Amino acid sequence: MSASVQPPVIELTGITKHYRMGDTDVPALRGIDIAIPVGAFVAVKGPSGSGKSTLLNICGLLDNFDQGRYRLGGEDVSNLDETARTLIRRRRIGFVFQSYNLVPVMTVRENVEYPLLLADVPAAERRMRVDAMLEQVGLAQMSERRPDHLSGGQRQRVAIARALVKSPTLVIADEPTANLDTVTANQVVALMRELGASHGATFLIATHDERMTSRCDEVRTMTDGVLQ
Amino acid sequence: MNNLRIAWQNVLRNRRRSLVTILITAVGTAAVLVAGGFALYTYEALRDAAARDFGHLTLAHKDYFSRDEDTPLQYGLADHAKLMAALEKENRIRRVLPRLAFSGLISNGDKSMIYVGQGVDVRGELAARGVFLKLVEGVLFGNNDEGSPRVLLGRDLAKSLSAKPGSSLTLLSTTTVDGLNAIDVEVAGIVSTGVPEVDKRLVYAALSTAQHLLVTDKVSTLAVYLDDTELTAPMLEEMQRTHPGNAVQPWWEQAFYYESVRGLYNRIFGLLGIIITALVFFSVGNTLAMAVVERTREIGTLRALGVLPAEIVAQFVREGALIGGAGTLIGMLLAGLTTLALLLLDVQMPPPPGRSEGYPLMVNASPTLYAIATLVIILLCAVAAWLVSRKASQKPIVEALGHV
Repeated sequence: MSASVQPPVIELTGITKHYRMGDTDVPALRGIDIAIPVGAFVAVKGPSGSGKSTLLNICGLLDNFDQGRYRLGGEDVSNLDETARTLIRRRRIGFVFQSYNLVPVMTVRENVEYPLLLADVPAAERRMRVDAMLEQVGLAQMSERRPDHLSGGQRQRVAIARALVKSPTLVIADEPTANLDTVTANQVVALMRELGASHGATFLIATHDERMTSRCDEVRTMTDGVLQ
Repeated sequence: MNNLRIAWQNVLRNRRRSLVTILITAVGTAAVLVAGGFALYTYEALRDAAARDFGHLTLAHKDYFSRDEDTPLQYGLADHAKLMAALEKENRIRRVLPRLAFSGLISNGDKSMIYVGQGVDVRGELAARGVFLKLVEGVLFGNNDEGSPRVLLGRDLAKSLSAKPGSSLTLLSTTTVDGLNAIDVEVAGIVSTGVPEVDKRLVYAALSTAQHLLVTDKVSTLAVYLDDTELTAPMLEEMQRTHPGNAVQPWWEQAFYYESVRGLYNRIFGLLGIIITALVFFSVGNTLAMAVVERTREIGTLRALGVLPAEIVAQFVREGALIGGAGTLIGMLLAGLTTLALLLLDVQMPPPPGRSEGYPLMVNASPTLYAIATLVIILLCAVAAWLVSRKASQKPIVEALGHV
């Protein structure tokens, strides 16, 4: 199948989401329509509270929406139960968080290996893929270190390796450069682009960071729950 | 990647807190094992004492245990020699001892007291039971006792009669032929059973002396000693089948205090065990509840990566079981050392109510008790972990990821 006939990785139609705050009903998303093609590097920017994170959480199957339809790689995932959503996240979605969210008792290697373990990848293949991934993010020499012995940039590289090691179709990155200095942030963005391209992953990134948006294929702006 | 290694590293995240919890589990385990071991030792000691005193089985006239006698030995065994010969052919039976229970008055000429006596085969009793009485004064049963009119007196009875070894006393009793008989006896020794109420009335005489006093050839019962106490139940069944004309009672029906003490100790130590395991349960639960709160964000991350709630719970259960395992391991060691120390130090317990002598504080190291206690405590720790992590594993992922 050629890339031109592949369905979009993300296809949201009329997505709405409300939060209850006491007696008040607060709309977070107001009829979102978006289609993100395979391999795209898309940023969503907007002020705090605009609904960026809510959109990413829905796209990453971390949260539910009230109305609309969500197709992930052509499959309707709107009404799946929690177990089915978990299994999709396990195999097809990677996450990069602002605060890295590495497991502190695991070494760098174990953190990167963990998604493959969840996906029941055989041990020999796991080892090979983790070695290759650590090489790509430049942390092969630090594979036995624990996260608390790494710098912020190194931790984010481990997080990127963890997100990409299972070759996901979609990577959700929520403010991945917010805690990094300019040099490190540029390195991390470059790494995400490079590895995203080589693994064929689609990136959906929530960010305020101009350093990030300037390198994206597409930048969409979110304002008051509406995507421009 | 080894799940248990990760679980252990999680346990070690907050070393001080985990160490305190492991120590509480260890002390709890040791307390359960020592208390349980003491109860087991007591049951075993009481069982052995009862079997030693009464014989593993007692064979008697069919009405002996169920009806009161109108005259002495009305329900005695006349054919005891034949019965003994038949029983001694059974190779599981170590020894059969005839016993004659009698009572009456004992007098020093100035003062008379009621006594409760037992006529025994002196050498046989010593061979079957060992030294079963504490000798206070005189000799227990010297050579040539058989047939000689010599008796042993309980300490308090001797004191009441101002009797000493060598003193002459008179035994008076109702005979089996509707009359009274009296014989002069010499005090061979003064003994103590450890129970003042018994020592106040106790007289031991040779079987022939007792039979001479009661003018009879009968005995009251035959005490049957087996090679092993465990054989009591099957031999009871066997003897009831082979001696349908007689009554047969096992030691536990005669030793009423055995079941009473066992029932009391089961309640006391059972309650103690419940309290201790509850403390361990809440301690482990509290430690893991704190760990769950601290790791809420990590739980959210793992859920985002595709870990199922049940797998999150399983990880905490492994951590709980490891805390329980480490605690019980140290607890078993502590209990083992305590058992060894008690064995070497010979610590004495004070006399129980109604007794005048203490007994050694010993603890049985029962593999079954160790296995059950360990499994129960590890299981409880795992259940505590399950309870505290279940809710957190179901928390919405977005909420968990936002936890500070």
